[in-house]
Amino acid sequence: MNNDSKKGRGREKTLTFIDRNRIFLLFGVVFLVMALFAPRFMTSFNLTTIMRTTAMNATAAIGFTLILIVGQLDLSIGTIITFAGVVGLGLKQYIGYGGSVPIAILAGCAIGLINGLLVAKAKISSFIVTLGMLTLLQGAIYTITRGNSISLSSPDAFAVSDWLARMIIPLITPRVVITLVLVGGFTVFLRLTRVGRNFYMVGGNRQTAWLSGMDTDLYTIVAFVISGFTAAVGGVLFAMEGAAATLNLGNTSLMYVISAVIIGGTAMSGGKGGVLKSFFAILMLDVLYNGIILFGLGNEVKIFIAGIILAAVVLYEAYTRYKHDKTVGQRAELLKEVDELKERIKTAKHRAAV
Amino acid sequence: MEPTKTAAVDSRALGESVVNRVFVTVGVYLIAGVLLLLGIGLQLTGAINNFATAQNMLNIIDAVSMLGIVAVGMAFVTYSGHYADLSVPTTMAMTGYVAVEMLKYGFFAAVAAALLVGIVVGLINAVAIGKFRANPIIWTLAVNYMSMGVIRLVWVNKQIYPDMTASTVRASQMFDAIFRLRFFGRIALPMVMMIILVIVFQFVLRKTKFGVQLKMTGAARTPARFSGINVELMIGIAFVICALTAAVGGLTVTSLNRVGAWYNGEGYDFRAVTAVVIGGVTLAGGRGSIVGVLGGVLVIGILNNILTLLGVGTFSQDMIRGAIFIVVVFINARSLRKMGRDYE
Amino acid sequence: MKRPMTLVLVLLLALALPAAVFAGGQKEAAPGAAAAAAGNLERSLAVDTSGLKSEDGQPLIILQEKQREVPSRPANPDALPEDDPLHWWDIEFAGWNANKQNIPESPKDGAIGKSIVFIVHGDHPWTTACTLGAQKIANAYNMKFKPLSPNWDLAVQNQMIDQAINERPDMILLIPLDAKTAPQQARKINQAGIPLILFNTLPSAAAMDYCITWTGPDDFGQFRMLSRVWADEMKRIHGTSGVGVAYTQHAPGGSPYFARCWGPISELSGYAPWVKTLDKQAPGFEADKTMQLVSDWLTRFGRDLKGICAADDSSQALGIFEALEKAGRRDVVVVAAGNSKVGMDLVKDGKLFAITYQTAEGDGALAVQTAADWFNGKEIPPVKYLPKHIITKADVEDFYPPQW
Repeated sequence: MNNDSKKGRGREKTLTFIDRNRIFLLFGVVFLVMALFAPRFMTSFNLTTIMRTTAMNATAAIGFTLILIVGQLDLSIGTIITFAGVVGLGLKQYIGYGGSVPIAILAGCAIGLINGLLVAKAKISSFIVTLGMLTLLQGAIYTITRGNSISLSSPDAFAVSDWLARMIIPLITPRVVITLVLVGGFTVFLRLTRVGRNFYMVGGNRQTAWLSGMDTDLYTIVAFVISGFTAAVGGVLFAMEGAAATLNLGNTSLMYVISAVIIGGTAMSGGKGGVLKSFFAILMLDVLYNGIILFGLGNEVKIFIAGIILAAVVLYEAYTRYKHDKTVGQRAELLKEVDELKERIKTAKHRAAV
Repeated sequence: MEPTKTAAVDSRALGESVVNRVFVTVGVYLIAGVLLLLGIGLQLTGAINNFATAQNMLNIIDAVSMLGIVAVGMAFVTYSGHYADLSVPTTMAMTGYVAVEMLKYGFFAAVAAALLVGIVVGLINAVAIGKFRANPIIWTLAVNYMSMGVIRLVWVNKQIYPDMTASTVRASQMFDAIFRLRFFGRIALPMVMMIILVIVFQFVLRKTKFGVQLKMTGAARTPARFSGINVELMIGIAFVICALTAAVGGLTVTSLNRVGAWYNGEGYDFRAVTAVVIGGVTLAGGRGSIVGVLGGVLVIGILNNILTLLGVGTFSQDMIRGAIFIVVVFINARSLRKMGRDYE
Repeated sequence: MKRPMTLVLVLLLALALPAAVFAGGQKEAAPGAAAAAAGNLERSLAVDTSGLKSEDGQPLIILQEKQREVPSRPANPDALPEDDPLHWWDIEFAGWNANKQNIPESPKDGAIGKSIVFIVHGDHPWTTACTLGAQKIANAYNMKFKPLSPNWDLAVQNQMIDQAINERPDMILLIPLDAKTAPQQARKINQAGIPLILFNTLPSAAAMDYCITWTGPDDFGQFRMLSRVWADEMKRIHGTSGVGVAYTQHAPGGSPYFARCWGPISELSGYAPWVKTLDKQAPGFEADKTMQLVSDWLTRFGRDLKGICAADDSSQALGIFEALEKAGRRDVVVVAAGNSKVGMDLVKDGKLFAITYQTAEGDGALAVQTAADWFNGKEIPPVKYLPKHIITKADVEDFYPPQW
């Protein structure tokens, strides 16, 4: 019996390892498939393209992961991305990038602050607050730009955009560097600092967090501010590199980031997940879509696969929870003893009958 | 994502004032009334004209009929504590496509097929969310993607036209009439459908065993299960109802647009949730009424109407709508809390 | 318990991807190095595409008679009032005064077998037809033709451009998603040394510096023509007093947004100054929103509203007519940008008075034909327009079956 349990525990460990790190494994599989089958995938140009595409959504995903960790939802990140891009570019001609970029990022933080206050202090559901904020912001964007998207064609605007887009080393451009620094920084912050780990508790078990002295409202508000911050950074950088900001820049980002963060393993219920996982999820999805374009397949394939992956992940998590709920409170060894007892009684009865 | 309930109730904090009580019971109609008065006031000052006419009022209801049909179905999902059904837009689009294809077997075949699509999608949602407790927002989002993928794969980016697929001219005319049929020359069929659905659903919610059990499920799922309610069945029915109304809405939109297209129904998910929440159905579930949802839909309609009559641009309208949405929900949540109920 | 699930998941994904590969087939284009055979130019010049037709029975390529008369640019267009046609010079005549930079020279070795990447703006039956027309011409020249659609997402279009550059095709054809973001996209392709033709959507002027040429519909020109026909009909029915009109606009920011609203306004200010503009709004392309908008217009303006000009002849037009019929107003003259099946049906029914003919297939075809001409070494003008035509009930039958 001792050998069994050791083997069993070893197997358990591998399973838990696979389960906890499934997004990294998934990424590996997808990357491998693309590298083997997709034409021109493994060129430095193509891989750089992937990294550059990832930068915007990956940045926004950092904040969104944090929001999910504290058990909330932020539907306004898409419009914050657009808003920051529009403000960052629109104000440039008056105060230059040195002025407009900080203002754009501060605006993102301010919006996050409003979201956070409404959720934490006014106690309105985050779904509703951010839904209203989404509509409000989108209308505001159209109103202040009067329907015109913004583009800059001055030489210095192109200079900045070229600087952001050039390859320092293969695969890495300055914009990618900023993204990686943010991802790395927040991963370390959330996993290794006490304050960072507190976010998990606020989301996982709010009562305990509050009882142990944490200001749960403050953590919630800070999470929203960070979400606004990262979304704004992502949007502004994207707009600067393209030297242009359209009025629906970030519209597709919301669903994309939600899917990616969930696929990466951060749960809607809070208290679980990580920034690094979300990053790899975005990376995986981008590699997948990049490959689909390389194969020349149409958008329908892209949409369908996105749906299937998301559905598979959600079902998997739900099924796991379902199985867990069914066996919660069971103690396997005792049940085995019960079975053994039943067997003995049966054989005893059998012998007695004979 | 369960909202946690914190803090005890301090009796001094209970504000059982008249305003609060009135607001909580008929909240949304209060807002609607205020807006109507605003409109009349603006008309009297000459800022807008013809607001308080029968024609204008009917226009308002017409404009929100399709939204209303979808919203009253969505209300069941929200009422059961599952936030929203984000697969509604593609259900509407797919219903349209299927109906137009099936017109080659006649009008009734098309309608039956459309409703069948609704039932199938509803069941898919029901099993995943009711039985396996998948997160409703993410699951319905995934279904939305998959349905869109299916639509595009099957119909390969083409639109299909009812007047070309219909087996007889009569069938094509009847399909066209889904949106355009008018009783007494003025009351449109979608409006009638919406009102009938409101009456029927309100009855179901308040007076049937299903409605009461659903309320319990939305209020507290586990105690509901322990008291013998088949929670999975309740939730399942809620999602099927939502998908069915989406199917009806899809038929109507497709009839209006005279084309089966994948963009039929775009935006209806968030618009419906907005109406549901303004109408007093709280996101946590278990509270609200279908009559309230009707009120929510009317509020949106009246607001749009006044803003357009004032000449406010479409985008400024979005801004104002978003702001009002937050304000309404804020007041609603605050009033409830002041009265000692619901500590979201 | 957990293991089979994870395994199944990973297996499914690992299988789904190659399956998608084999299902989709290898549709990609290899760099067209094989086109350098001698005699290619002669064979290429011998190809005659004038006989090709689009699905509606019209000729695919209509060799444009005379390009527009382009007035000289005023010193400061923005300073002019908005109803002055010359105020819109930079948008309307973008490309005519471009400062071409660094445009590659034509290799003059014929178009047979060349590889082109064809990037549209999004999925829509219109773009399906456009791609079809392009495909027909590409087939005539045996080109390797790769169509891509970013489905209205700018980030994806940028990614597609990057990937296209990576492939180093012989030519890129691009519909920029947004006029203002086009310069940066065009510049990137230009700096990579790949020939570029922009088409369909007018980009902002700076983008024209980086492309060989722009082809597409003369939106402003069409709508100036349309507005005259519209004004004449309104005059015929209502006379010239008390005529107010309203505009339902296209998506903000693109050239149709300006062309289909400000084109008529600035044209009528000179041609029919008795027409008063009451309102202009952008309800999107949804019939119910347009219906609500027009109903509210009727409430607001009553009998003053005598004409509506719509940027879209399908969803917007349907919404307009629902509102008009509800209110019992049969005297409103409605014109729109065409030409979809729904729109043409409405013209046939006598509801829509006139629509513009905008051949989707011809749009794509003209772009590819221009590419072929460039490969053949022909002289390419900076802008090439599609033919203009106004469809009314008298000739609408000529345009069936509809392209989309």
